[in-house]
Amino acid sequence: MINGNTYQATPPLQAHNSKELVLKEQSLFLSEYASTLMGSGVHTSRVIRNTKRIGKALGLEVTVSGLHKSLILSVVADHTGDSFSTMVEIPHSPISFEINTNLSRLSWEAHDEQLSFHEIVKRFTGLVSRPKLHPIVVLILSSFANASFCALFGGDCFAMGIVFSATLIGMFTKQQMLAKDINLFLSFITSAFIASLAASTSVIFNTTSDIAIATSVLFLIPGVPLINGFMDIMEGHVITGTARLINALLLVLCIAIGMSGTIMLTKHISI
Amino acid sequence: MIFTDILYDAGFAAIAGIGFGAISDPPLKAFKGIAILAAFGHATRFCFMNYAGQDIASASLMGALIIGLGSFLIGRKLQCPMTVLSIPALLPMVPGIYFYNTILSLIMFLRSAGDTPQHMAHMQDIGSNFMFAFTTTFNLAIGATLPHFIFKTKAFTLTRNKR
Repeated sequence: MINGNTYQATPPLQAHNSKELVLKEQSLFLSEYASTLMGSGVHTSRVIRNTKRIGKALGLEVTVSGLHKSLILSVVADHTGDSFSTMVEIPHSPISFEINTNLSRLSWEAHDEQLSFHEIVKRFTGLVSRPKLHPIVVLILSSFANASFCALFGGDCFAMGIVFSATLIGMFTKQQMLAKDINLFLSFITSAFIASLAASTSVIFNTTSDIAIATSVLFLIPGVPLINGFMDIMEGHVITGTARLINALLLVLCIAIGMSGTIMLTKHISI
Repeated sequence: MIFTDILYDAGFAAIAGIGFGAISDPPLKAFKGIAILAAFGHATRFCFMNYAGQDIASASLMGALIIGLGSFLIGRKLQCPMTVLSIPALLPMVPGIYFYNTILSLIMFLRSAGDTPQHMAHMQDIGSNFMFAFTTTFNLAIGATLPHFIFKTKAFTLTRNKR
């Protein structure tokens, strides 16, 4: 995975050559920094800008080529002219805007305060290992959000209550399935099916059941990759943007498949 | 009555923004900003659609512009990148219903193969739903990204400590 000056006649990295070892260590850190940002759902141009900024603070010229599943970094030391290339896989981590904010700030701190390399690594490790929002808080907040969505689409109070409980069940299913490392697409299909099935109880009552069923799966819509995809395309990162969009559309397809399962089951009941 | 309708829309959009934003783990201090932006953005779209007779795509562009500009102003105060505030605030405006109606119409299209009028109606649904979904989301991204191009260097230094 790591190719250090592979086209040189002499062995590229030797234990006694400390400058090259430092360059290797710094390049590997930069690749981890960039891939962490990319995996947290940051749009490509920001990842490149931040990585270049940290590189500049360390006296390195960084060139990044961003792909959807991996990043290629070429790092050149300003003083010696030594170069190091590395390719890193982008981890499958959940979207985190907190990591986005903190790591962006770290890049400016490194730039403005001229932090040492070890200090940057120390702060990076601290920021990445910070605790995330508790899943139960996310569960309750997203249920309220989806219930509000139902209201925005014209659902009545009763439909809102049903959507709230349907989202609670659907989101819980998604969280549990993803925590158990079950395939993302399968998790989306199952969650959409369960959420819409729970919301289809509304057909028994005299309420806006069509709105309740339609909005019950909206919490699954991958809004962040959809917007990020379009942003990437607008900023010239067409390949990454298109890949993100296709990924998001596949998830939408899964939602529709899950929901069509409910429609097939309840079609006769509602008539 | 108009005022209460707008308030109703803005209020629920704020809750939706906070809730959908929470899935993407934003910093705690950003929640207030996200709620304000989601409320203003969605209310702008609501006004353009209901009182100015605009379609959902153009109205979404206006709403997203408000969110984009607002995220610059609030981002300066909170030292947050603009996208951290703008993307969660945009989430209630993502036309999810059109996206999955596209796919649902596709499934219905495949299942109604023998019945020509139904078949063609579903085909039309696929096209119109997809165009609504595509243009609206594209406009949301344009609206939120334009301020990046307008403020350029200022927009890139929001998380910087000394200014």
